[in-house]
Amino acid sequence: MTTSTPFLGVDVGGTFTDIVLSDADGRVHTRKVLTTPADPRDGSCRGITEVLAETGTDPTSITRLVHGTTLATNVILERKGPPVAFVTTAGFGSMLRLGREARVEGDRYDLLFRTATPPVPPGLTFEIAERISGTGAVIEAPDDDQIAALVAEVAAADPVSLAVCLINSHRDPTHEQRVAAALRAALPHVYMAVSSDVWPEAREYDRAMTTVISAYVGPIMADYLRGLEARIHELGISCPVEIMESSGGVLRAELAAQRPVYTVESGGAAGVIAAGYVGSLLGESEVISFDMGGTTAKAGVVRDGKPDITHDFHVGGKGSFGSTRSGTGFPVKTPVVDMAEVGAGGGSIAWVDTGGALRVGPSSAGSTPGPVCYGRGGTEPTVTDANLVLGYLDPGALADGLQLDTQAARDAIERVVAPLGLDAVDGAWAIHELVTTNMAGAIHVVTVQRGIDPRSFTIVGFGGAGPLHVARLASTFRITKAAVPWSAGVASAVGLCTADLTVHQMQAFAADAATADPEELSAAFEQLEEQGRRDLVDERNASDFTVNRTMGMRYRGQAYQLTVAAPSGPLGSEELASIGKAFREQYVRTYGIDFDGEPQIVSLHSQVSRVVDKLSMPLAEVTDTDPAGAHLGNRPAYFPGSGMVDTPVYDWVRLSPGTALSGPALVQGPDTTVVVPAEHRLTIDGYRNVVLHLEADADQGR
Amino acid sequence: MTETAQVLDDLITSEVVGNALAVAVEEASVVVVRSSHSTFIQEGADACAAILDASGQLVAQSMATSLMHGSSLRSCLPSLLEDVDIDDMVPGDVFVMNDPFRGGIHANDLVVLRPVFANDRPAFFVGTLIHVADLGGVAAAGLAALATDTFGEGMVVPPVRLYAGGALVTDIAAMLRRNSRAPDQVMGDISALVSGVNVAAKRLDELIETHGADRVDHLVESQLAYAETRMREELRSLPDGDYSGEFTIESDGVEEGRTFTVRATATIDDGSITVDLTATDDQSRGAINSSYSQTLSGVLYAVRCYIDPTIPMNDGCFRPLEVKLRHGSIVHPTSPAACGGRVVTVFAAVEAILAALSAARPERSVASSGTVHVFAMATPAGAENRWLTMLYEFGGIGARASSDGPDATGAFFLGGRSTIPQIEPLEAQYPLVVHEVSVRTDSGGPGKYRGGLGSQMILEPFEDVEVTVRGDRMILPPPGVDGGLSGVGGFSAVEHHDGTIEMHKPKQSGILVKAGEKLIFSTSGGGGHGSPLERDPRAVLDDVADNSVSPEAANDVYGVVITDGAVDTAATEARRAELAVARAAEVAR
Repeated sequence: MTTSTPFLGVDVGGTFTDIVLSDADGRVHTRKVLTTPADPRDGSCRGITEVLAETGTDPTSITRLVHGTTLATNVILERKGPPVAFVTTAGFGSMLRLGREARVEGDRYDLLFRTATPPVPPGLTFEIAERISGTGAVIEAPDDDQIAALVAEVAAADPVSLAVCLINSHRDPTHEQRVAAALRAALPHVYMAVSSDVWPEAREYDRAMTTVISAYVGPIMADYLRGLEARIHELGISCPVEIMESSGGVLRAELAAQRPVYTVESGGAAGVIAAGYVGSLLGESEVISFDMGGTTAKAGVVRDGKPDITHDFHVGGKGSFGSTRSGTGFPVKTPVVDMAEVGAGGGSIAWVDTGGALRVGPSSAGSTPGPVCYGRGGTEPTVTDANLVLGYLDPGALADGLQLDTQAARDAIERVVAPLGLDAVDGAWAIHELVTTNMAGAIHVVTVQRGIDPRSFTIVGFGGAGPLHVARLASTFRITKAAVPWSAGVASAVGLCTADLTVHQMQAFAADAATADPEELSAAFEQLEEQGRRDLVDERNASDFTVNRTMGMRYRGQAYQLTVAAPSGPLGSEELASIGKAFREQYVRTYGIDFDGEPQIVSLHSQVSRVVDKLSMPLAEVTDTDPAGAHLGNRPAYFPGSGMVDTPVYDWVRLSPGTALSGPALVQGPDTTVVVPAEHRLTIDGYRNVVLHLEADADQGR
Repeated sequence: MTETAQVLDDLITSEVVGNALAVAVEEASVVVVRSSHSTFIQEGADACAAILDASGQLVAQSMATSLMHGSSLRSCLPSLLEDVDIDDMVPGDVFVMNDPFRGGIHANDLVVLRPVFANDRPAFFVGTLIHVADLGGVAAAGLAALATDTFGEGMVVPPVRLYAGGALVTDIAAMLRRNSRAPDQVMGDISALVSGVNVAAKRLDELIETHGADRVDHLVESQLAYAETRMREELRSLPDGDYSGEFTIESDGVEEGRTFTVRATATIDDGSITVDLTATDDQSRGAINSSYSQTLSGVLYAVRCYIDPTIPMNDGCFRPLEVKLRHGSIVHPTSPAACGGRVVTVFAAVEAILAALSAARPERSVASSGTVHVFAMATPAGAENRWLTMLYEFGGIGARASSDGPDATGAFFLGGRSTIPQIEPLEAQYPLVVHEVSVRTDSGGPGKYRGGLGSQMILEPFEDVEVTVRGDRMILPPPGVDGGLSGVGGFSAVEHHDGTIEMHKPKQSGILVKAGEKLIFSTSGGGGHGSPLERDPRAVLDDVADNSVSPEAANDVYGVVITDGAVDTAATEARRAELAVARAAEVAR
């Protein structure tokens, strides 16, 4: 192992804060501490201090600190941000109030429904007379007197934060920038977000709300990051703080404070990046990320080593199988790792409805009272109780020396499933399978519904409960390879340490693909990338940049675009022709039909990354590859077709790289257990990851 | 397999199959929306997808997009099977139809159905439906507000093959294309419909391949039985009895002075419900007739508002429901009645049933809502630049027994506000500018709980256009309940270059608007719930702060006296006492 520069990953989750340290010798150390909700920086600093002390690492030697946080999401969902003042074109002051409200599934029949209140309170919306047309022509320019009057009006309201979004500013930002400049000059201390800077894409409500959300989380995020930087400097760490943004790249804190909306899914993105990294260790570039914790499960996709990105994310949104439907929650148009999240976790409660069907979730026992087997007062059986009854969990092996009560779990399940004519074990299996089906729905959303055939993918399962379910999920999709990373419990923190510094730029660009001027396109891309490089340069300047271009395209007459990859470097007619061909192929893949139309270019997106030092998981020492040395003993565990069978349990810590064994088996790690069904073969790779191979002739799922 | 093993296997696989079916229809509807070529589909998600079995039972229906068309795919399939022998169908066949008297809604709502094969025979059908760009008729975009028969509304299409064994039937395609004012757009929309059925068919094929046709059949039947069981359980939780309600439609735009009342009696009896609409008025000469499948969608919607909404939407929901319609009435017209304006009527049926069932569940009582105001614009014949579009805005929702009505949204039956196009894509696509989209102060019906506000849109076309408007609940605005007042009615008008304003009738077509004139579309506010004199004065203060209520109305209607931005409690009590006396006197008169 070559010498590396030491760095830290700090991932703040709902319950635990995970710390990963890659030390000067390239060794990786992990630490889990309780999250401190009142100020998450307390827990982060405690964990950092502990891991530094434990490893004897000199704080001044740390060169990078990458942070993952759900702060922005929490601010939005818990409505903790400051009131935002909103400036828009005259005639459109009701835009946010009217909103884009939609309801999904059962909510559609709710006669008592309420609409979400935007973060702009009454009296804080201001209008300015001006107008750009739909083709970018000036219909009415704002006059200086009116701008001055607007500034006075806004100043009188004394806002903390301000969002500016004028109609059609994505076509021509001149008016918006003029108004913004005047406001900025008069109100230098007010946090300000301007739509043509944040994300200049068509659809005024979506753009305005993305801007408002930026202004809503901005002041808090800026304050938080400044404070965090000060706190870690007190610990002797002198490097700047970096933060994972929603699309899985890393931003310097200073940029993140200016573009806070980019961090709404910071925490979630880290998991998908981690799965992609595990894939790279296995030599796989097509990966499904499956992260299952106590209350929810998240699915994401990595293709060609890069996470799939969506521009259709809605904070706090709702939809079928973990998708978020437009009109629910608040739209964020900036790039976000494409994820589907369902309310399926270890704490999800099983019950029987009035139609006599067994259901799992959406209610969860959470951590209090928790599953019945925790003995903390929980009475309703959960997924964790089912996994215990099925023999997947070791009654004595949980953290905190907690002893799990199998009999109580069994009784609770039996109570619920007896009316269906099932016993506790069958009931537990049914619960296990139903929650698997629910999670399969989330995977379906990010793969099949996006035109992706999951069968050739590798599924990476992590989080506390992921390793219990990943093999079964793989079978459901006829996926032949699954993996559980060695650091499954702190996978997201590892993910933080494996991404490059990244910024995204986009611009609206209206042209027919057939007649578009390649030089003009190249120049537009170049300009976006020049800006991106400027954002990424700092005093630690390294010069390796990578560029990833995509274009929004559609057929004339359509309103939704597909994202098509474009080559970097100068574009010529040949490149344009191949882009056109790629669009057509993607159209057929997505919509199942060829269409004879005129392709149009709608927007240009460019992602510029600066290649930086990253975590590189060290190879583990090969010891004895005979699993017998790691055999902890046997316990009865349930496998379909066989029922409860005596199943060998192995100690993951003692399994050497190169070990191979066949299911059924259980692999018990420090904070999780991998279930290996009979139809799977298991190997331990060089990094101690568990790799599951579905035997080709095995039962291919239901 | 042992009995227990079978129970376990059924339980698990049933969930797998149920989810797969739900996901497939959802996906089909999303594919239609995203690949369509009409603004109100793209932005409005106004599409429906369903899976039916070969005997015509509804297996699954998309829930995220339009609910309004739900029953129509189910009602169309029997007509297809009547005309085309099921044994003559081959894989890759796709059928198209729209006949309102055979399961359709009106000419512009095109239905596409595709058989899915198992054991060499159609085992299932997947269907999609949208309002396509234009299919002829006397006015553009399928908005023939004043048509007096179905033939004036567009080309009537019986069940015919659009694809035969996977190949486009070019004769039919040519026929459809030639009958449209917007041929490229309509063919794009039809292509989107086909994309939807293809995607759903593919998913169903995979499901049948994995589990086998018999197993899927068996599990589908258990899904229907399950929905039926839960539906009956829920209906049992409502008190048995007869509940009646009615709603009056102001006009069909053709017969001056004639109103139409939908009368509903819902009878709940030990887990079943009968909705009797036979006392409803005769069908109209105008276009507001609601075909039977359209009426059925409305009835089912209204009933589901009073039961657990998570019950899967399939044929099991229909089993405990009996709907009685009188042929020749406005909710079940005889051919060839015009049916394009049926939103007005089916929504009246929904209101009548909601009013009836409110008595069974008073906590879910709701005052009447404003409805959808639709307008279409097209360049007149002879114009150089040919384009057309249809747009809409919603009125406010009626106040509820314990909360205000939301503003200008088509929630409930019609879909939420996200179905209204955003302005920027509209302006990018058509030569026009929108000057304003705002809420109308004081339009919400006053009450202890206030009706939602209506909206106002001002639009200026850059070219001469011919406009059709179709609104309702404008002359007779949505009434309040329990002492709540009506919302304020909407209107549509044009502001000429000289500044004069010309008002339109609620339903009018052939309105010529010159380039640069301004079209004004205002929608109605929802009705109020309870007396406005009982409204919390602080709520009125907030209403004034966000322009929902004017300071004048706060004083004159709500009796709330606001001084220096705060409620003057003593003055308010006095003012309210004064208004109470005046209103009692008014009632006595």
